[in-house]
Amino acid sequence: MAMRKSPLQWSGILVILVFVLAFGLEANETKKQSGEVLDQRSDIITIDTLKSFDVLERPEVIFFHDLHTEALNKSNKDCKTCHLPEKPENDRLSLKFKRLKDTDKQVVMDIYHAECIGCHKDMAGSGQDAGPVEVCGQCHREEPGVISSRQSMGFDKSLHFRHTKGLTAPCQKYQLEKEKETNQGDCGICHHEYDEKAKKLFYAKEKEGSCRYCHMKETEGNRISMRLASHSACIDCHQKTLAEKKDAGPVKCSGCHDLKEQQKIKKVEPVPRIERKQPDVVLIRANKAEADKEAQVSRMNLVPFDHKSHEEYNDSCIVCHHASLDSCSKKCHTAKGSKDGDFVNIERAMHQKGYEKSCLGCHDINQKEPKCAACHALMPANRKLESSCLICHTKPSQENATAMVSDEKVFAEMLLQSRKAKTEPYKDEDIPEKVIIKDLEDQYEPVELPHRKIIKTLLGNIKDNKLASYFHAEKGMVCQSCHHNSPLDKKPPRCGSCHGKPFDERNILRPGIKGAYHQQCMECHQVLNLEKPKSTGCTDCHKEKQKPLKAS
Amino acid sequence: MSISRRKFLGWVGAAGLGTAFGTSAHAAANKHFKGYPESSGVLFDSVLCIGCRKCEEGCNKVNELPPPSRSFDDLSVLDKKRRTSIEAFTVVNRYDNTRNTKGPLFRKIQCNHCLEPACASACFVRAFTKTKEGPVIYDPSVCVGCRYCMIACPFGIPAYEYYEALSPRIRKCTMCHPRVIEGKLPGCVEACPKEALTFGERKDLIKIARERIRKNPDLYVDHIYGEHEMGGTSWLYLSGVPFEELGMREDLGITPAPELTAGALGSVPIVVGIWPVLLTGIYAMSKRKEKIAKEEQEQAVSLALEEANTEAESKFSKALAKAQKEKEAAIKTEVKKALEEVQKTQEEEDA
Repeated sequence: MAMRKSPLQWSGILVILVFVLAFGLEANETKKQSGEVLDQRSDIITIDTLKSFDVLERPEVIFFHDLHTEALNKSNKDCKTCHLPEKPENDRLSLKFKRLKDTDKQVVMDIYHAECIGCHKDMAGSGQDAGPVEVCGQCHREEPGVISSRQSMGFDKSLHFRHTKGLTAPCQKYQLEKEKETNQGDCGICHHEYDEKAKKLFYAKEKEGSCRYCHMKETEGNRISMRLASHSACIDCHQKTLAEKKDAGPVKCSGCHDLKEQQKIKKVEPVPRIERKQPDVVLIRANKAEADKEAQVSRMNLVPFDHKSHEEYNDSCIVCHHASLDSCSKKCHTAKGSKDGDFVNIERAMHQKGYEKSCLGCHDINQKEPKCAACHALMPANRKLESSCLICHTKPSQENATAMVSDEKVFAEMLLQSRKAKTEPYKDEDIPEKVIIKDLEDQYEPVELPHRKIIKTLLGNIKDNKLASYFHAEKGMVCQSCHHNSPLDKKPPRCGSCHGKPFDERNILRPGIKGAYHQQCMECHQVLNLEKPKSTGCTDCHKEKQKPLKAS
Repeated sequence: MSISRRKFLGWVGAAGLGTAFGTSAHAAANKHFKGYPESSGVLFDSVLCIGCRKCEEGCNKVNELPPPSRSFDDLSVLDKKRRTSIEAFTVVNRYDNTRNTKGPLFRKIQCNHCLEPACASACFVRAFTKTKEGPVIYDPSVCVGCRYCMIACPFGIPAYEYYEALSPRIRKCTMCHPRVIEGKLPGCVEACPKEALTFGERKDLIKIARERIRKNPDLYVDHIYGEHEMGGTSWLYLSGVPFEELGMREDLGITPAPELTAGALGSVPIVVGIWPVLLTGIYAMSKRKEKIAKEEQEQAVSLALEEANTEAESKFSKALAKAQKEKEAAIKTEVKKALEEVQKTQEEEDA
C-alpha cells in the first residue's frame, strides 16, 4: 500500500505553508512602503506623556497640531477647547492638553481618551470629518506613515529688531498694558531675571541676554525648557495680538517650523544695531583682576577687538557669547581656566580650531568659502605664519602705550585704528605678465601662464573681504598662494628650484615638477569651479605640438 | 613484535595532537611576514585623481597592448564600471554617488601586488612569484590554465585569454617589473600628470600617506587601504570618502590569503606521511590478532580430533577385543555344541 499522510501531517504542512506565505507577503509589503515617499509635516507632536510613569503599552500617538487647529477654527472654537489657563488670574494657556500637571498615569490617560474621543464623537455626530473613535490602533499607530520636516526656529537680529523698534502698532497696546503692570519698559515683555528670594521674575534693565542662557533644553525645577518657554510666551503674545485683529507672528506650528514658511518671514536689511550699551571696541585680555593679583603682565600684545563690526557679521549674540553676555575672561575663560569655563582658558577660548565660538575657529570657517579655499584648501590645515599672530595682537606704538595707562578704551580704539586692512600688492611692472613653462616640451608646445592676470584675480577675490585684507596686507602675501614655503620677496625662487624629478627618496614628500604644477593649478581651478581650463582638458593649457616641417 | 594495546593507542593520540600543533605553529610563523624589505609599491591618492585615463594610456603603451576600441581621450568610457581585462591591465572607474560634494571621484584598478598573494598560493605549478622588488609576476611557460588564480584573487584582477586556442595565458598588471628593475617608473605612474600615483619603497609610501592625512585631516579618511588588507598589498590607497564608496571591498580582513589555507594544506604532508603508517599498523595488528586466533583455533581443533581419535581407537579396539572374545566364545560354544552333538549322535549311534 502507498504511503498515506495522516490528517495531522497534512494540517502541519498547511500551517507551515501559511506562515511562509504570510512572511513573504509581509516582506513584500515593507518593500513597497520603503519605496513610497512619506508624507512630511512640520506640526507633528508625539504624545508619549505616559512614558514618564511607565513603559508604554501601546505605540505613542502621532498628533498633527495644525490639523486640529484648523478643524477647531472651522467650527469657531479656540485654543481653550484643548488648553486650560495656567492661573485663573492669568490668561496665558498651559501647553498641556486639558490639564495643568501630569499627576498620575491613569488620570492623564483618561483625560486623553475621554477628551479626544469625546470631541471626535461630537464632530462625527454633527456630520463633520472627525478623528478615530473606536479602534485603538488608528491613533496608536505602529507605523505612522509620516515623517517630521520640522525645522528649528531661531530668533535672529532681524526678528529681534522687528519685535522691538521695528514693531509698529500691532503689539503696542499689549505692551503698554504690560508696562503699566510691571513698570518695566519694552524689553521686559520678553526679557526677565529670576529673584531667588522673592521667587519672582523681574526685569533688570541692561541685563538682557539670550533666552537660552537660562532656558535649557530640558526643564530644570521651576526653570522651564526653552521649548516650553518659547511656545508659551511667543504664541501667547501672537494670539493676543491677533485677537485684536492686528498683524502678528505665527500661531501655527508650520508658521515657525516649516522651511517654506520660514523663508517667508520678513528680513530687515541692514538691521540696526541692538542697543544694550555694548562697547564698540574692546580689549581682549586675560582677567585683569586675576593678572593684577598675581602681578603678571601679559607678554602678548593685547588684542583690540572690533565688537561693533562683529555684531554685523553674526546673526545673533550667542554665536560668540554662548553662555552669557559678560566678558569672556570675567568668570569663565580666565588665564588658567576655571570650573565655570569648563577649564577652557582664555588662550584656548580665542584660538581653538574647529569651534565657531573661538576667533580662529570662526575665521577658519570663513576660509572655507571658495574664494579663500582656492588657495587655502591646498595649504596644510595647521600652516600658520608667525607674523600672522601680530595681526590680531597688534603692536602698540609709543603713544598708544601711554594711552593704555590712562584709558583702556581709548587705547583699544587707537590700537584698532593703527591696524591696516588694505592689501598692498607689488607694482604691476614688478609682476611678470607671463611665465613660460617648458617642462613638457617633448609632448606639447610651452605653456603660457597668465601670471599677472592670476594675481589680479586673486587680489580681486579678497578686495572686499576685511578679514582677508588684514591677513594679506603684507606685500607678497598673496604670492604665497603659489610661491609657498618661500620668503616674502619680490623675486621668489623658481618652482624648479625645489621641484625636480618625482619620487626622490631623499625628499619623499616633495612632488616632482610635473605633479607640483598640475596639483597647484588644478586644485585651485577646481575650488573656483572654473569652466576652463578643465582638469582633463590637456590642450586647454598645453597647445598641441606643431609637427616639425619636413625638410624638403 | 609485541606492542600493548595501551601503548599503541597512546601513539595514535600523540600523532593526532602533533597534526594539530603543527598547523598552528605554521600559521604563527606566517603572520610576521611584512613583505620584502625595500620592496617597491605605488600609492594611489583618489583625492588627487582627476580621471584623465593617462595611466591607462601609459600602461597600454609600455605593455604593448592592442590599441583600444575607443580612444583614451574619450572620457565617456567612464560612464560604465569596468574591470581589468587581457587588453587593459589597469582601468579607471568613476564613482558619482559618493559623500564627496565637489563632484565625482575616480579609482584606478589594477593588480594590488599583495605581499602574500592569493594567486600564488592557489597556483599548484608556481606560475606566480612575489619578487623581492615588489611586483607579483607570472610565468606562462609553466601555467596549465586551471584559472585557480582568478578564483583566488580577492580583487578580481587576473584575466584569461579565452580566445587563444593553443597557448592561452593569464594576463595582469606586472607593476612593470622589467622597467622597475631597470630603474624606470611603471608606465601608469610615469603618465600620471598629477602625481596621484606615487612610486617608491612601500615603507616610504606609508610615511607619505600618513603625512598627507596628518596635514589635511579634512580631506582624507584616516585609513591607508592596503596597509593591512589581505595581509598588506604593495599598492596603497588614500581616499576622502569611505573606501566602500569607491567600490573597494572592506570585508577582506587583514589575514593574508595563504594563511587561510595554510592550516588545511599544511596538514597534507602529515596526513600523507604519517597516517598510512599508522593505519597500516592498525591493520597489521588486527590482522595479527586474527592470525593468532586462527592458529589457536586450529591447534584446539587438532587436539580435540586427536583425543577423539584415540578414544575412538581404544573404544574400537575394546569393541574389537570384545567381539573377538565373543566370537571366540561363540566358536567355543559352537564347537562345544558341535562336539556335544557329535558325541550325542555318536552315543545314539552307539546306543
